[in-house]
Amino acid sequence: MSTAMNFGTKSFQPRPPEKGSFPLDHFGECKSFKEKFMKCLHDNYFENALCRNESKEYLECRMERKLMLQEPLEKLGFGDLIGGKSEAKK
Amino acid sequence: MGGVWHTAWRRLFFCGWHSFHRGSTARPAERVEPFLRPEWNGIGGAERGLRLLGTWKRCNLGARDPAVQPSRRPKSSNPFRRAQEEEWRRRNKTALTYVAAVAVGMLGVSYAAVPLYRLYCQTTGLGGSVVAGHASDQIENMVPVKDRIIKVTFNADVHASLQWNFRPQQTEIFVVPGETALAFYKAKNPTDKPVIGISTYNVVPFEAGQYFNKIQCFCFEEQRLNPQEEVDMPVFFYIDPEFAEDPRMIKREAGEPQSSRKKRKNCQPGVHGQPVI
Repeated sequence: MSTAMNFGTKSFQPRPPEKGSFPLDHFGECKSFKEKFMKCLHDNYFENALCRNESKEYLECRMERKLMLQEPLEKLGFGDLIGGKSEAKK
Repeated sequence: MGGVWHTAWRRLFFCGWHSFHRGSTARPAERVEPFLRPEWNGIGGAERGLRLLGTWKRCNLGARDPAVQPSRRPKSSNPFRRAQEEEWRRRNKTALTYVAAVAVGMLGVSYAAVPLYRLYCQTTGLGGSVVAGHASDQIENMVPVKDRIIKVTFNADVHASLQWNFRPQQTEIFVVPGETALAFYKAKNPTDKPVIGISTYNVVPFEAGQYFNKIQCFCFEEQRLNPQEEVDMPVFFYIDPEFAEDPRMIKREAGEPQSSRKKRKNCQPGVHGQPVI
Protein backbone atom coordinates (compact mmCIF):
# COMPACT_ATOMS: atom_id res chain seq x y z
CA MET A 1 0.00 0.00 0.00
CA SER A 2 2.81 2.36 0.77
CA THR A 3 4.43 1.65 -2.58
CA ALA A 4 1.43 2.80 -4.61
CA MET A 5 2.41 6.09 -6.16
CA ASN A 6 -0.83 7.93 -5.68
CA PHE A 7 -0.69 11.63 -5.19
CA GLY A 8 -3.91 11.73 -3.30
CA THR A 9 -3.25 9.08 -0.70
CA LYS A 10 -1.01 9.66 2.24
CA SER A 11 1.86 7.27 2.42
CA PHE A 12 3.01 5.63 5.60
CA GLN A 13 6.07 7.21 7.13
CA PRO A 14 8.00 4.74 9.23
CA ARG A 15 9.18 6.31 12.43
CA PRO A 16 12.41 5.24 14.07
CA PRO A 17 11.97 3.52 17.41
CA GLU A 18 12.17 5.68 20.47
CA LYS A 19 15.06 3.92 22.09
CA GLY A 20 16.79 2.85 18.94
CA SER A 21 17.61 -0.62 17.86
CA PHE A 22 18.16 -3.82 19.84
CA PRO A 23 21.62 -5.22 19.31
CA LEU A 24 21.48 -8.75 18.04
CA ASP A 25 21.69 -11.53 20.58
CA HIS A 26 24.32 -13.48 18.70
CA PHE A 27 25.13 -15.85 21.53
CA GLY A 28 21.55 -16.59 22.53
CA GLU A 29 22.11 -15.43 26.06
CA CYS A 30 18.49 -14.61 26.64
CA LYS A 31 17.09 -17.42 24.60
CA SER A 32 15.65 -19.27 27.57
CA PHE A 33 13.68 -16.22 28.60
CA LYS A 34 12.38 -15.88 25.12
CA GLU A 35 11.32 -19.51 25.03
CA LYS A 36 9.46 -19.03 28.30
CA PHE A 37 7.70 -16.01 26.91
CA MET A 38 6.71 -17.75 23.67
CA LYS A 39 5.42 -20.74 25.57
CA CYS A 40 3.33 -18.47 27.78
CA LEU A 41 1.90 -16.79 24.69
CA HIS A 42 1.03 -20.10 23.09
CA ASP A 43 -0.66 -21.30 26.23
CA ASN A 44 -2.71 -18.17 26.69
CA TYR A 45 -3.87 -17.90 23.09
CA PHE A 46 -1.51 -15.07 22.35
CA GLU A 47 -2.96 -12.74 24.93
CA ASN A 48 -0.23 -10.29 25.77
CA ALA A 49 -1.68 -9.10 29.08
CA LEU A 50 -1.16 -12.51 30.69
CA CYS A 51 2.47 -12.81 29.72
CA ARG A 52 3.79 -9.50 30.80
CA ASN A 53 5.91 -10.97 33.56
CA GLU A 54 7.78 -13.08 31.08
CA SER A 55 8.37 -10.15 28.77
CA LYS A 56 9.63 -8.13 31.71
CA GLU A 57 12.07 -10.90 32.57
CA TYR A 58 13.30 -11.07 29.01
CA LEU A 59 14.01 -7.37 28.97
CA GLU A 60 15.75 -7.57 32.31
CA CYS A 61 17.96 -10.34 30.93
CA ARG A 62 18.87 -8.11 28.01
CA MET A 63 19.69 -5.24 30.27
CA GLU A 64 21.95 -7.42 32.44
CA ARG A 65 23.85 -8.72 29.42
CA LYS A 66 24.30 -5.23 28.03
CA LEU A 67 22.10 -6.04 25.08
CA MET A 68 19.85 -3.18 26.01
CA LEU A 69 20.31 0.12 27.73
CA GLN A 70 19.49 0.07 31.41
CA GLU A 71 16.11 1.64 31.99
CA PRO A 72 13.90 1.74 35.05
CA LEU A 73 11.06 -0.64 34.45
CA GLU A 74 8.42 2.00 35.01
CA LYS A 75 9.61 3.73 31.89
CA LEU A 76 8.98 0.55 29.95
CA GLY A 77 5.42 0.28 31.11
CA PHE A 78 5.95 -2.35 33.79
CA GLY A 79 5.19 -0.09 36.72
CA ASP A 80 2.35 -2.27 37.98
CA LEU A 81 4.50 -5.40 37.95
CA ILE A 82 7.35 -3.98 39.96
CA GLY A 83 5.31 -3.48 43.09
CA GLY A 84 4.20 -7.11 43.02
CA LYS A 85 7.72 -8.39 42.55
CA SER A 86 9.21 -6.37 45.37
CA GLU A 87 6.50 -7.66 47.68
CA ALA A 88 7.28 -11.23 46.65
CA LYS A 89 10.95 -10.66 47.37
CA LYS A 90 10.17 -9.48 50.88
CA MET B 1 6.08 76.00 -51.60
CA GLY B 2 9.51 76.82 -52.70
CA GLY B 3 10.17 78.46 -49.40
CA VAL B 4 9.19 75.33 -47.53
CA TRP B 5 11.47 73.19 -49.58
CA HIS B 6 14.19 75.62 -49.05
CA THR B 7 13.75 75.37 -45.34
CA ALA B 8 13.81 71.61 -45.41
CA TRP B 9 16.99 71.50 -47.35
CA ARG B 10 18.60 73.81 -44.91
CA ARG B 11 17.52 71.75 -41.94
CA LEU B 12 18.82 68.56 -43.50
CA PHE B 13 22.04 70.21 -44.28
CA PHE B 14 22.48 71.26 -40.73
CA CYS B 15 21.71 67.82 -39.36
CA GLY B 16 24.23 66.15 -41.57
CA TRP B 17 26.83 68.66 -40.77
CA HIS B 18 26.26 68.24 -37.08
CA SER B 19 26.81 64.52 -37.14
CA PHE B 20 30.07 64.75 -39.05
CA HIS B 21 31.55 67.44 -37.00
CA ARG B 22 31.03 66.03 -33.57
CA GLY B 23 33.81 67.87 -31.95
CA SER B 24 32.38 71.16 -32.97
CA THR B 25 31.49 73.41 -30.18
CA ALA B 26 28.97 75.20 -32.25
CA ARG B 27 25.55 74.87 -30.81
CA PRO B 28 23.12 73.72 -33.43
CA ALA B 29 20.24 75.31 -31.60
CA GLU B 30 21.74 78.69 -32.22
CA ARG B 31 22.11 77.90 -35.85
CA VAL B 32 18.63 76.62 -36.31
CA GLU B 33 16.96 79.20 -34.22
CA PRO B 34 16.65 81.80 -36.92
CA PHE B 35 14.79 79.24 -39.02
CA LEU B 36 12.35 78.67 -36.28
CA ARG B 37 11.45 82.26 -35.84
CA PRO B 38 7.91 82.88 -36.89
CA GLU B 39 8.88 85.74 -39.20
CA TRP B 40 10.97 83.47 -41.32
CA ASN B 41 8.15 81.97 -43.26
CA GLY B 42 4.89 82.71 -41.60
CA ILE B 43 3.83 81.53 -38.18
CA GLY B 44 4.97 77.95 -37.55
CA GLY B 45 5.61 77.59 -41.24
CA ALA B 46 9.01 76.08 -40.88
CA GLU B 47 7.83 73.48 -38.48
CA ARG B 48 4.84 72.65 -40.53
CA GLY B 49 6.82 72.23 -43.64
CA LEU B 50 9.45 70.02 -42.09
CA ARG B 51 6.91 67.88 -40.41
CA LEU B 52 5.34 67.21 -43.74
CA LEU B 53 8.64 65.99 -45.04
CA GLY B 54 9.11 63.71 -42.07
CA THR B 55 12.52 65.00 -41.19
CA TRP B 56 11.48 66.69 -38.01
CA LYS B 57 12.14 63.82 -35.68
CA ARG B 58 15.58 63.02 -36.96
CA CYS B 59 16.82 66.53 -36.77
CA ASN B 60 15.31 67.05 -33.43
CA LEU B 61 18.18 65.18 -31.83
CA GLY B 62 20.71 67.66 -32.96
CA ALA B 63 18.54 70.69 -32.65
CA ARG B 64 17.85 70.42 -28.98
CA ASP B 65 19.98 71.91 -26.29
CA PRO B 66 22.32 69.18 -25.07
CA ALA B 67 22.14 70.61 -21.56
CA VAL B 68 18.67 69.06 -21.24
CA GLN B 69 18.88 65.52 -19.81
CA PRO B 70 19.21 63.28 -22.84
CA SER B 71 17.67 60.22 -21.20
CA ARG B 72 14.33 61.72 -20.32
CA ARG B 73 13.11 63.47 -23.39
CA PRO B 74 9.31 63.66 -23.35
CA LYS B 75 7.70 62.35 -26.42
CA SER B 76 5.73 65.50 -27.10
CA SER B 77 6.19 69.13 -26.52
CA ASN B 78 2.59 69.82 -25.60
CA PRO B 79 2.80 70.71 -21.88
CA PHE B 80 -0.51 69.11 -20.97
CA ARG B 81 0.39 65.88 -22.65
CA ARG B 82 3.75 66.00 -21.00
CA ALA B 83 2.17 66.39 -17.59
CA GLN B 84 -0.10 63.49 -18.35
CA GLU B 85 2.80 61.32 -19.38
CA GLU B 86 4.63 62.26 -16.22
CA GLU B 87 1.58 61.24 -14.24
CA TRP B 88 1.38 57.91 -16.07
CA ARG B 89 5.04 57.31 -15.49
CA ARG B 90 4.67 57.99 -11.78
CA ARG B 91 1.67 55.72 -11.54
CA ASN B 92 3.49 52.97 -13.38
CA LYS B 93 6.36 53.27 -10.98
CA THR B 94 4.16 52.92 -7.90
CA ALA B 95 2.33 50.00 -9.44
CA LEU B 96 5.63 48.33 -10.22
CA THR B 97 6.81 48.86 -6.65
CA TYR B 98 3.65 47.26 -5.31
CA VAL B 99 3.97 44.28 -7.61
CA ALA B 100 7.61 43.80 -6.67
CA ALA B 101 6.72 43.99 -2.98
CA VAL B 102 3.99 41.36 -3.44
CA ALA B 103 6.40 39.08 -5.28
CA VAL B 104 9.00 39.35 -2.55
CA GLY B 105 6.31 38.82 0.06
CA MET B 106 5.14 35.65 -1.66
CA LEU B 107 8.68 34.34 -1.75
CA GLY B 108 9.06 35.00 1.96
CA VAL B 109 5.77 33.29 2.75
CA SER B 110 6.76 30.22 0.78
CA TYR B 111 9.94 29.97 2.80
CA ALA B 112 8.15 30.51 6.08
CA ALA B 113 5.50 27.95 5.20
CA VAL B 114 7.70 24.98 5.98
CA PRO B 115 8.24 25.55 9.71
CA LEU B 116 4.76 26.98 10.08
CA TYR B 117 3.22 23.84 8.63
CA ARG B 118 5.30 21.68 10.86
CA LEU B 119 4.08 23.63 13.89
CA TYR B 120 0.52 23.28 12.70
CA CYS B 121 0.89 19.54 12.23
CA GLN B 122 2.36 19.14 15.66
CA THR B 123 -0.46 20.93 17.34
CA THR B 124 -3.27 19.35 15.40
CA GLY B 125 -1.66 16.01 14.63
CA LEU B 126 -3.00 15.87 11.11
CA GLY B 127 -1.40 13.83 8.37
CA GLY B 128 0.10 11.27 10.69
CA SER B 129 3.13 13.33 11.44
CA VAL B 130 5.15 13.06 14.59
CA VAL B 131 3.36 14.54 17.56
CA ALA B 132 5.65 16.00 20.17
CA GLY B 133 5.06 14.47 23.54
CA HIS B 134 5.77 10.80 22.90
CA ALA B 135 8.31 10.74 25.63
CA SER B 136 9.07 7.96 28.03
CA ASP B 137 7.04 9.68 30.75
CA GLN B 138 4.03 9.02 28.63
CA ILE B 139 4.77 5.32 28.74
CA GLU B 140 5.20 5.55 32.47
CA ASN B 141 1.87 7.19 33.02
CA MET B 142 -0.32 5.60 30.47
CA VAL B 143 -3.23 3.54 31.60
CA PRO B 144 -4.26 0.50 29.58
CA VAL B 145 -7.71 0.67 28.10
CA LYS B 146 -8.79 -2.81 28.99
CA ASP B 147 -12.02 -2.98 27.03
CA ARG B 148 -10.54 -2.42 23.58
CA ILE B 149 -8.75 -5.58 22.59
CA ILE B 150 -6.77 -5.24 19.41
CA LYS B 151 -5.41 -8.09 17.38
CA VAL B 152 -2.03 -7.36 15.92
CA THR B 153 -0.86 -9.69 13.20
CA PHE B 154 2.72 -9.95 12.14
CA ASN B 155 4.09 -10.40 8.69
CA ALA B 156 7.56 -10.58 7.27
CA ASP B 157 8.88 -10.08 3.80
CA VAL B 158 12.33 -10.57 2.47
CA HIS B 159 13.82 -9.08 -0.62
CA ALA B 160 14.50 -11.68 -3.30
CA SER B 161 18.24 -11.22 -3.30
CA LEU B 162 18.57 -11.55 0.46
CA GLN B 163 19.03 -15.18 1.39
CA TRP B 164 17.88 -14.94 4.96
CA ASN B 165 15.02 -16.93 6.37
CA PHE B 166 13.03 -14.29 8.12
CA ARG B 167 9.72 -14.93 9.80
CA PRO B 168 7.68 -13.84 12.80
CA GLN B 169 7.53 -16.22 15.74
CA GLN B 170 3.88 -15.51 16.44
CA THR B 171 1.29 -14.82 13.83
CA GLU B 172 -0.82 -12.60 16.02
CA ILE B 173 -1.01 -11.12 19.46
CA PHE B 174 -3.86 -9.54 21.39
CA VAL B 175 -3.06 -6.27 23.06
CA VAL B 176 -4.94 -3.36 24.51
CA PRO B 177 -4.03 0.29 23.96
CA GLY B 178 -1.68 1.61 26.61
CA GLU B 179 0.01 -1.69 27.30
CA THR B 180 3.55 -2.46 26.24
CA ALA B 181 4.01 -5.68 24.36
CA LEU B 182 6.84 -7.81 23.12
CA ALA B 183 6.96 -9.79 19.88
CA PHE B 184 9.67 -11.82 18.21
CA TYR B 185 10.94 -12.42 14.74
CA LYS B 186 13.46 -15.03 13.84
CA ALA B 187 16.15 -14.71 11.21
CA LYS B 188 18.50 -17.37 9.96
CA ASN B 189 21.37 -17.12 7.57
CA PRO B 190 21.56 -20.43 5.71
CA THR B 191 24.51 -19.44 3.54
CA ASP B 192 28.22 -19.84 4.20
CA LYS B 193 29.00 -16.17 4.02
CA PRO B 194 28.16 -13.40 6.47
CA VAL B 195 25.30 -11.35 5.16
CA ILE B 196 24.26 -7.90 6.28
CA GLY B 197 20.63 -6.94 6.14
CA ILE B 198 18.58 -3.96 7.10
CA SER B 199 14.92 -3.87 7.75
CA THR B 200 12.11 -1.45 7.83
CA TYR B 201 8.51 -1.71 8.83
CA ASN B 202 5.13 -0.40 8.08
CA VAL B 203 1.74 -0.73 9.64
CA VAL B 204 -1.56 -1.19 7.91
CA PRO B 205 -4.13 0.30 8.05
CA PHE B 206 -2.59 3.70 7.73
CA GLU B 207 -4.79 5.49 10.24
CA ALA B 208 -4.07 2.94 12.92
CA GLY B 209 -0.38 3.14 12.15
CA GLN B 210 -0.17 6.54 13.73
CA TYR B 211 -0.90 5.00 17.11
CA PHE B 212 1.63 2.24 16.78
CA ASN B 213 4.74 3.24 18.66
CA LYS B 214 7.86 1.20 18.78
CA ILE B 215 9.93 1.56 21.88
CA GLN B 216 12.73 -0.56 20.58
CA CYS B 217 13.13 -2.94 17.70
CA PHE B 218 15.66 -4.18 15.21
CA CYS B 219 14.82 -1.92 12.30
CA PHE B 220 16.73 0.78 10.50
CA GLU B 221 20.12 -0.49 11.49
CA GLU B 222 22.29 -2.91 9.62
CA GLN B 223 22.36 -6.31 11.19
CA ARG B 224 25.01 -8.81 10.36
CA LEU B 225 24.41 -12.51 10.49
CA ASN B 226 27.29 -14.94 10.46
CA PRO B 227 27.10 -18.10 8.40
CA GLN B 228 24.46 -20.54 9.64
CA GLU B 229 23.51 -18.20 12.45
CA GLU B 230 20.01 -17.88 13.80
CA VAL B 231 18.90 -15.03 16.02
CA ASP B 232 15.75 -13.86 17.73
CA MET B 233 14.76 -10.31 17.00
CA PRO B 234 12.43 -8.64 19.44
CA VAL B 235 10.05 -5.79 18.84
CA PHE B 236 8.93 -3.87 21.89
CA PHE B 237 5.95 -1.68 21.16
CA TYR B 238 2.71 -0.26 22.44
CA ILE B 239 -0.44 1.22 21.04
CA ASP B 240 -1.21 4.74 22.09
CA PRO B 241 -4.15 4.92 24.51
CA GLU B 242 -5.57 7.74 22.44
CA PHE B 243 -6.44 5.08 19.91
CA ALA B 244 -9.50 4.36 21.98
CA GLU B 245 -10.64 7.93 21.74
CA ASP B 246 -10.23 8.43 18.05
CA PRO B 247 -13.68 8.33 16.49
CA ARG B 248 -12.26 7.00 13.27
CA MET B 249 -10.88 3.97 15.07
CA ILE B 250 -14.15 2.64 16.38
CA LYS B 251 -14.38 -0.05 13.80
CA ARG B 252 -10.73 -0.96 13.71
CA GLU B 253 -9.84 -3.97 15.69
CA ALA B 254 -6.88 -5.30 13.87
CA GLY B 255 -3.60 -3.76 13.01
CA GLU B 256 -0.81 -5.40 11.19
CA PRO B 257 2.79 -4.46 11.51
CA GLN B 258 4.98 -5.87 8.84
CA SER B 259 8.68 -6.10 8.73
CA SER B 260 10.53 -6.23 5.49
CA ARG B 261 14.16 -7.06 5.05
CA LYS B 262 16.31 -5.75 2.36
CA LYS B 263 19.80 -6.84 1.66
CA ARG B 264 22.93 -4.87 2.03
CA LYS B 265 26.12 -6.45 0.99
CA ASN B 266 29.28 -4.54 0.27
CA CYS B 267 27.38 -1.36 0.87
CA GLN B 268 25.10 -1.85 -2.05
CA PRO B 269 21.72 -0.51 -1.14
CA GLY B 270 18.94 -3.00 -1.46
CA VAL B 271 15.43 -2.48 -2.58
CA HIS B 272 12.65 -2.29 -0.07
CA GLY B 273 10.68 -5.50 0.02
CA GLN B 274 7.09 -5.49 -1.08
CA PRO B 275 4.76 -5.48 1.89
CA VAL B 276 1.81 -7.75 1.77
CA ILE B 277 -1.52 -6.05 2.10
